[in-house]
Amino acid sequence: MLQQDSTDDTEDVSLFDAEEETTNRPKKSKIRHPVASFFHLFFRVSAIIVYLLCELFSSSFIACMVTIILLLSCDFWAVKNVTGRLMVGLRWWNHIDEDGKSHWVFESRKASPQEGKTVSEAESRIFWLGLVACPVLWVVFAFSALFSFRVKWLAVVIMGVVLQGANLYGYIRCKVGSRKNLTSMATTYLGRQFLRQTTGDTQTSSGE
Amino acid sequence: MAEAVESPGDPGTTTPRPLMRDLKAVGKKFMHVLYPRKSNTLLRDWDLWGPLILCVTLALMLQRGSVDSEKDGGPQFAEVFVIVWFGAVTITLNSKLLGGNISFFQSLCVLGYCILPLTMALLVCRLVLLAEPGPINFMVRLFVVIIMFAWSIVASTAFLADSQPPNRKALAVYPVFLFYFVISWMILTFTPQ
Repeated sequence: MLQQDSTDDTEDVSLFDAEEETTNRPKKSKIRHPVASFFHLFFRVSAIIVYLLCELFSSSFIACMVTIILLLSCDFWAVKNVTGRLMVGLRWWNHIDEDGKSHWVFESRKASPQEGKTVSEAESRIFWLGLVACPVLWVVFAFSALFSFRVKWLAVVIMGVVLQGANLYGYIRCKVGSRKNLTSMATTYLGRQFLRQTTGDTQTSSGE
Repeated sequence: MAEAVESPGDPGTTTPRPLMRDLKAVGKKFMHVLYPRKSNTLLRDWDLWGPLILCVTLALMLQRGSVDSEKDGGPQFAEVFVIVWFGAVTITLNSKLLGGNISFFQSLCVLGYCILPLTMALLVCRLVLLAEPGPINFMVRLFVVIIMFAWSIVASTAFLADSQPPNRKALAVYPVFLFYFVISWMILTFTPQ
């Protein structure tokens, strides 16, 4: 019976939006921007792969270093300007006003009921996975370069940490809102956990 | 395609081609360095792409030895990077500690873009070095480097000096002098083996 309902749903939607591929289902698991999703991951993962396999690819340290720098720059630009906006509806930038003071602006797009404006779950998952995993890897590489004394790579690794960390920080600020929201979110979460603990305890104690 | 929240601070995000906007902004800043005028462009719309391009170009051209050997240019490449970025950060910190009202990234932007004349000097030096070595060769290179060094200093102080109170201008400007001096020295003493 559920199956029948879902087919009714799709039939209703196709009457209104004949050419629209995605439906109004609450699942939203389609990838709407395949090119953006691909490039979001491509530059980051290639930079890491080139770093790890540089000795195999070419004996020239310079070529590897320049390639990694190019990939990191393209990745920074793409994630900051294109994929964040398209995939999860967040953006951040720096604005200098008339007095010369600099403000950092973090914005998130309001979820509107329009078609194509909601965030798809698959894209969101890809975005955050790529955004979080890669800076962590670069930090690991930084420590390994430091402790194994491959210091000539340290410049590139630090650049990777800084660029990808900047994007990570920017998008987390966008997602969470202002810093005030972050602390209030943390306190509500902790408060809820605490409440759950105490009510759970009282329940078990009253049940006995 | 307008976003649900249209913000006045970022005019470019709604245009369909942000890449061209960014490239044009970088090109415009290069022009401003070449013809320094009293304008706010370098400061208001700062970006660090120009400094990155210039730094990589500088580091690539300051290579000794053949490109195919295993022990090629690694340390020198990283050395140029470290000198440029660490130097720029130090100057920025110095200017902020002196009470300047310029932001961190704006200062990095100006310092990075004003390396352009010195990069051109390096190009000219490399071309001159293709000719036979000798004192005339050295004099030509010295002349070019000095001119470009002066150009860099003039361009960067045109942008940076205004952000300092008048009795602190010299204190804020002399590290810039040192910074470009070190880069000019690296360029002048460069000899490809």
